[in-house]
Amino acid sequence: MASSLLELVEVQKDYRIRSFGRVIRTTKALDKLSLKVEEGQIFGFLGPNGAGKTTTIKCITGILKSDSGSIKIKGENIENNSFENKNKIGFLPEQIGLYGNLNCIETLSFYAGFYDLKAETIEKRSLELLGLLGLGKDAERPVGEFSLGMKKRLALAIALLHEPQILILDEPTSGLDPRGVKALRSVLRDLNTKGLTILLSSHVLSEVQEICTHVGIINNGKLIKQESIQKIREKVRKTAIRLSLRVKNFNKKNEDELIKKNGISIIEKNDLGKHQQIILTLKEKLIPWVTDNLVKNDVQIFSIEPQDTSLEDVFMTETGGENED
Amino acid sequence: MKIKRRLNQWNNLKTWQPLIIAISLVMVVAILHKAHWELTTETNPLDIWKGKIVTKGDNETNINFPGNAGDSITFKGILVTSPRFEVYNNDSIVLSEYSKDEAIVYDEDLYGKTMLNLSGMRILINGDLSGEFFESEIVTVKAYIIENISYYSENGQNITLNREGWEALPEDIHLASDTDYYFFGTELIILAIGSYYSLNRIQNLKTQLKFAKHLALFEFKRGLKAPRMIVLGSFFTIFIVGIGWLLGDLQNSTSVFAVTSGNDGILRLSYFSFFVVSLAAIAVSVDTIHKERQSNTLNMLLARPINRETIVLGKALGLTMVVGVPAFIAQVLGLYFMTVAGEMPTIGCMITFLLFGQVMIFTMVTFQLCLAISAKNGADVVIYGLGAWLLFSVVWTLLVYAVSFVIGIDVSAQNFENDPEYQAIASRLALLNPGFVYQMAVGLFTHRTISIDFEGVPGWLLLLSLVLWPLICLRIATWLFKREMRG
Repeated sequence: MASSLLELVEVQKDYRIRSFGRVIRTTKALDKLSLKVEEGQIFGFLGPNGAGKTTTIKCITGILKSDSGSIKIKGENIENNSFENKNKIGFLPEQIGLYGNLNCIETLSFYAGFYDLKAETIEKRSLELLGLLGLGKDAERPVGEFSLGMKKRLALAIALLHEPQILILDEPTSGLDPRGVKALRSVLRDLNTKGLTILLSSHVLSEVQEICTHVGIINNGKLIKQESIQKIREKVRKTAIRLSLRVKNFNKKNEDELIKKNGISIIEKNDLGKHQQIILTLKEKLIPWVTDNLVKNDVQIFSIEPQDTSLEDVFMTETGGENED
Repeated sequence: MKIKRRLNQWNNLKTWQPLIIAISLVMVVAILHKAHWELTTETNPLDIWKGKIVTKGDNETNINFPGNAGDSITFKGILVTSPRFEVYNNDSIVLSEYSKDEAIVYDEDLYGKTMLNLSGMRILINGDLSGEFFESEIVTVKAYIIENISYYSENGQNITLNREGWEALPEDIHLASDTDYYFFGTELIILAIGSYYSLNRIQNLKTQLKFAKHLALFEFKRGLKAPRMIVLGSFFTIFIVGIGWLLGDLQNSTSVFAVTSGNDGILRLSYFSFFVVSLAAIAVSVDTIHKERQSNTLNMLLARPINRETIVLGKALGLTMVVGVPAFIAQVLGLYFMTVAGEMPTIGCMITFLLFGQVMIFTMVTFQLCLAISAKNGADVVIYGLGAWLLFSVVWTLLVYAVSFVIGIDVSAQNFENDPEYQAIASRLALLNPGFVYQMAVGLFTHRTISIDFEGVPGWLLLLSLVLWPLICLRIATWLFKREMRG
């Protein structure tokens, strides 16, 4: 059986707080975390703040060393030959740190110096990537003058410079404006189409839902779910769907009647002025009963919109609605 | 079980096994070296000298040593005074006077002979050793017990001295380094072989060295443009050049600060160089890791296929060049102005002044890197750096006084600095200060051999210290930096 591109097996990591060289406190960051990322996937790594996403990424990229377990790239333990394996990884950290006095070309040349690349290749690749990421015109500008979005794009160029097999992005859209987020998504999709495997961590569920093909949910350092987005959607759809109704004359009596029915729950009520918005979750087969019941009780229905089953539902269910912030 | 665990530990050290074996062999050679001297020479000449039996009769004094006339012993010791001051001539002795210290009666036969002071023992050499051997050199002397009779008067009474004394021929005196070099050479060859095989076992060594060079050049270019380096570089250049000129000028002076020779001038210049250059070395490396951690450039670097060891090495080399290149220019200018105004030091001394200067800068940079890696915030890094500079450059002497006081030396006595015990403490403690190690190492090369004794510190130990300082600092810095990885 072919090995996964990236595989984590029971990875454990503790953070140690030291005072005068002695460990005075230990915090568990990863608790026997196992996950697999196959070639060609865009893998969304989801979890609330403090769940262990960044620690996992730091262990994969070699910034931190795991206490136990193994991290394999194409079946080879990353620690056995970290030089070769790091060559297979492109990494975009959440907090971008670049030398402000260098321009784009100098920055790319500096980081390219840590890969086995020829000078002509570096120059060609740099110009190609800067063009692809919309930084062609700013190639000679000092990085210190760049906006956060531009810095992220340059950091992405650095991550792609050596043509990695897997691109790892830690909260790639944090701090970006909607236009920047959209542009980044489009670039990532393009790269994936060309065969690049992507692992991105995020706590922005819509982002993951929008772009990822597979998702892993982590909480308290443990992987609690790993599945394709498609499968998650189907599962949710089977158990319940979400319906948004724009109505008039909806009162307490109507509400009680709906709630009494098994399998229906009202999750949100909004006053829109002339109308009211009611968001329900219910089994698909109960939709006719709901409409009939409301019409019979003189509630005027202006629109019925099925809402897409959100990853948020799964996320909240799986993580128990916790947020460690 | 215990053996199995030890074997596992040994197997885990696969890369360093040849070096560990080499170091073990070097230690064996060092023991053999020591044993060679202990077995073939008398290494405590003073004990023999103190063992003489002096008996006094009415008109007779007898001086006897254990053993018989004609017996010989090869002594190994330090020339406490320069032989050129110990040559007898009609100006230096009063004829027919008995010298208790030298256990001899002065007579005309002694003219042109040298009374060697070998670690406190007196050996009469049948020849003039001026310019042949020098103070502090470690030598071996094959001496014989000679009997003679001489006469002197004491309190108006004529006394016969039946003397046994130690005498030697000039050709029986040799520098200990004539033998030491064979042992040191063997040790160096073993160490070189061990290092070669260990380095060969490091994965991707060539690539990592290429990365270190890349990072070092980057740090160098960046550091040279840094405002603090422009200020400090200008400051230390003016300072070193000015001091160089002053030390040259003082060679023609009669003041208490007079410089006795070009070599003396270079020794003093090395102290002043350390004073300012170490500050620059600390200042440029004070926040190198910490700042990169804060600005997140470190994580960008760590995600590349570069080892943490290589990062520390690259940064240390780069920062050494940032300070080292301007310091080298300043030192050359300082030397030029010193020689223009005064005497020319020896070439060897000038080369070591410049070369060891770079080693000293590398040491200070790696020392500061250790502090910069372990510091938790920016303020800590600056305080640690400043503290280290003050300790090594300014308050070290106070520390030596304090240690001397604790071990019972009266540091309030007049001229206590001339007390041999105090000097021995000061010399040994100096090995813990990279500035003094630099100065003493330059001083070592004002001599023709490394078999020199610096108040209890032999020359080889000084050179070992010069090499170990940067290596240990580099090792600690990489260990601290790698420890971060464990979280």
